[in-house]
Amino acid sequence: MTPASTAAVDLVNIWKRFPGVIANAGASLQIKTGSIHAVLGENGAGKSTLMNVLSGVYRPDEGQVLIDGEAHQFRSPSDALNAGIGMVHQEFRLVPSFTVAENVVLGASDRLVRRTAVEKEVGELAERFGLATDPSRPIWQLSMGERQRVEILKALWRNARILILDEPTAVLTPSEADELGRVLRTMADDGRSIIFISHKLHEVTGFCDEATVLRGGKTVAASLQVADTNAHELAGLMVGSSPIISERPPARQAGEILLEIKNLEAQSDRSLPVLHGLSLQVRSGEIVGIAGVSGNGQREMAQVVAGLRPATAGSVSIAGQEVTATPPAARFKAGLGYVPEDRLGVGLAPRLTVTENAILRNYRSLRKGPFLDSDQADEHCQDLVERFGVKTGPMHEPIAGLSGGNLQRLLVGRELSGGPKVLVAAQPTRGLDVKGVKAIQDLLIAERDAGVAVLLVSEDLDELFTLSDRLLVIHDGQIVGEFNPETAQRHQVGAAMAGEVVTQ
Amino acid sequence: MTRLVLVRREQVLKGGQPLAFLIGLVFAMLIGVVLLLISGHDPLAIYGRMVEASLGSPRAWSITLNRAVPLGLAGLAVAVAGSMGLWNIGAEGQILAGAMMAAWVARLGEGWASPLLITAMLVAAVVGGALLASGPAVARAQIGVNEIITTLMLNEVALRLLQWLIHGSWKDPESRGFPLAPMLPDEARLPGLFERAHWGAVIALGVIALFGLVASRTAWGYELRVAGSSGATARYAGISLKRKITTVLILSGGIAGLAGGIELSGNADRITEGISAGYGFAGIIVAALALLRPSGVAAVALLFGAVQVGGLSIQTMGVSSSVSTILQAFILFGAIGAGVFSRYAVRRVNNDKTSSES
Repeated sequence: MTPASTAAVDLVNIWKRFPGVIANAGASLQIKTGSIHAVLGENGAGKSTLMNVLSGVYRPDEGQVLIDGEAHQFRSPSDALNAGIGMVHQEFRLVPSFTVAENVVLGASDRLVRRTAVEKEVGELAERFGLATDPSRPIWQLSMGERQRVEILKALWRNARILILDEPTAVLTPSEADELGRVLRTMADDGRSIIFISHKLHEVTGFCDEATVLRGGKTVAASLQVADTNAHELAGLMVGSSPIISERPPARQAGEILLEIKNLEAQSDRSLPVLHGLSLQVRSGEIVGIAGVSGNGQREMAQVVAGLRPATAGSVSIAGQEVTATPPAARFKAGLGYVPEDRLGVGLAPRLTVTENAILRNYRSLRKGPFLDSDQADEHCQDLVERFGVKTGPMHEPIAGLSGGNLQRLLVGRELSGGPKVLVAAQPTRGLDVKGVKAIQDLLIAERDAGVAVLLVSEDLDELFTLSDRLLVIHDGQIVGEFNPETAQRHQVGAAMAGEVVTQ
Repeated sequence: MTRLVLVRREQVLKGGQPLAFLIGLVFAMLIGVVLLLISGHDPLAIYGRMVEASLGSPRAWSITLNRAVPLGLAGLAVAVAGSMGLWNIGAEGQILAGAMMAAWVARLGEGWASPLLITAMLVAAVVGGALLASGPAVARAQIGVNEIITTLMLNEVALRLLQWLIHGSWKDPESRGFPLAPMLPDEARLPGLFERAHWGAVIALGVIALFGLVASRTAWGYELRVAGSSGATARYAGISLKRKITTVLILSGGIAGLAGGIELSGNADRITEGISAGYGFAGIIVAALALLRPSGVAAVALLFGAVQVGGLSIQTMGVSSSVSTILQAFILFGAIGAGVFSRYAVRRVNNDKTSSES
């Protein structure tokens, strides 16, 4: 056991309650100075809350925060920053039109800064930690990996001795992730302490020294030596019982083509071409998985198919009917179900109630004259809630209070209740707990077996390998590879995702 | 040393808004006491008179009610647009447009039976307000022109048009050169309810209740609320945002236009430049304080009606009617300020050194 005086961070018996939820129920975490420490746990295990307590966003109801052995009560993130704690968020907080150097010093300096001097200093800092970036380039020109380096530089510039990285590799290619691992090691060797939050167990075993596992708001395994454990043991600790090893469902004879995308081109939100002649087909009774590093056009492709983004060239057909220029409702009629990536922004109406969200797709059939039949609406909602295991409060309360997993169950359930021929699911299991993931995956398989053509866009390669009958890789707006998940190797798919030409 | 800090509540305080409103009212009255004392008046006597004049008798109530009608309809007009996240700042101009159309129908329909004439006037008023709002509505829906600016600018257009009519073709030949429109015929006057109150109150309440019902119970209202909650979700569900934006802004204009028609038919002898006493702008405040809810609009409009009537009544005591304007402003100020506390709690914090750098 490490003496408390040498621990960079010591969170002792942290409790944090929210209305109806106990997010942290006596969680503890101890980080050795100069080490890389993984914090593991499923969504809802209390990781984010615990990190928010450490970074001053929340105040714990009970418990102690010790930094270098000294008790602190943070009132705000800036208090935590003053104590040397820097957070690298999953969503970057950068000004796109500012340069790297400007973003790094933004808010950290109360005097006017000279551009050249700052760029030089930022450049030196970057070099010291192997964070290759050009300080004079504007953020919008940078890749996701480079932007993340800027976020890390921001924390280093503010003299953070303890860095929290929230799922830092989610936006990176495998080689970028390896690069990040080397950067983290350099920082740890410099005497800084790194908290690494991830779901990817091979990264934890790859870069980290120690690991703490949270489950149900409690610490179930504290400061395990990574060298003495393995991915299987960690997975077991996270889920509490033996990890669910999804079995590949038996292959099924694929039928007629229900979704056909031909030479599709489209523009991104910034009006830059993002799809470059993408073509694919999905047949009745098969799941086609789309693997790709985020930002390669998969989001836009799903939106074009759903009718939420115009195609600039090419065509989309659903069940033999060309729908390229039709509005979303016509595609729904043609047999499209769509699970959007941005649940609250696109799939659901946050200010409306559970019932009102449940009927979004079929309210037109619930009309009684000009009125909506509220009994039928309640019945439909009750049915969805029961069939898909949605845990809700009162059905006439806004959905804003539901957890991410329950929002997704409501949304996916609603899309499936319409009996679609084609289902486009974008990141359908992201942010769900194990039970939720399994439930959604089982639904997708059941739909496939019922003859639905399923297009699955996911960042989770394991999920794609498990569910897909065919696995397509998207890179720079094109399908660059097709794999048979039964015989393909992960590294081949990974190489294709990174844009390397692969022959299977 | 201790200091006070605001901490975000994990849940918004229930019933916070009526409470905030009440706090705003008390706050405004306290400011009023100071103002009245400075100007050498007895605050108690003045407030007593205001309450007496606005709520102290059936006659007082009738005057307050008449005042609340245009405030409530203008407030509803703003709230209807607000439910889609749109701001109709042009209710003032739409009221004038409604009154103009109603006056025009009254000229055309000379000799018609009273119910027919009044109905035609009110329908025309709705059309007038809707017409004025239709330009901004289409521009917003089709090419995204900011409706705040277009509706605001059309206020001026409506006022100039009204002035042109009064100084020109509508000028009464018997007014001996004064720019005055002729008196309305008796058939064009809304019938009374009690004392000085007219049927406008019933119509206004009916319209407010109807909109409340449509918004909460119908498929159309459902689409409206989905679109107001998230535009992307509405598009995803196959709800045409363009059509919704257009209809909602035109409807908003029509409701404001109705206020103009009722004001002309119920309260005025003839159409004048001052037919709307700033009701369109007061409607924005009413809608904001009502949190864009129809039921709230009715209640806030009644209270604002009372404050305005009370403010006018104290002019005979030598107090400027601006007092009521100031009170209205401070009610808004106080209520919005107090509203913060339904979302944030005040905590006392010991400002010791525990959190500074070690």
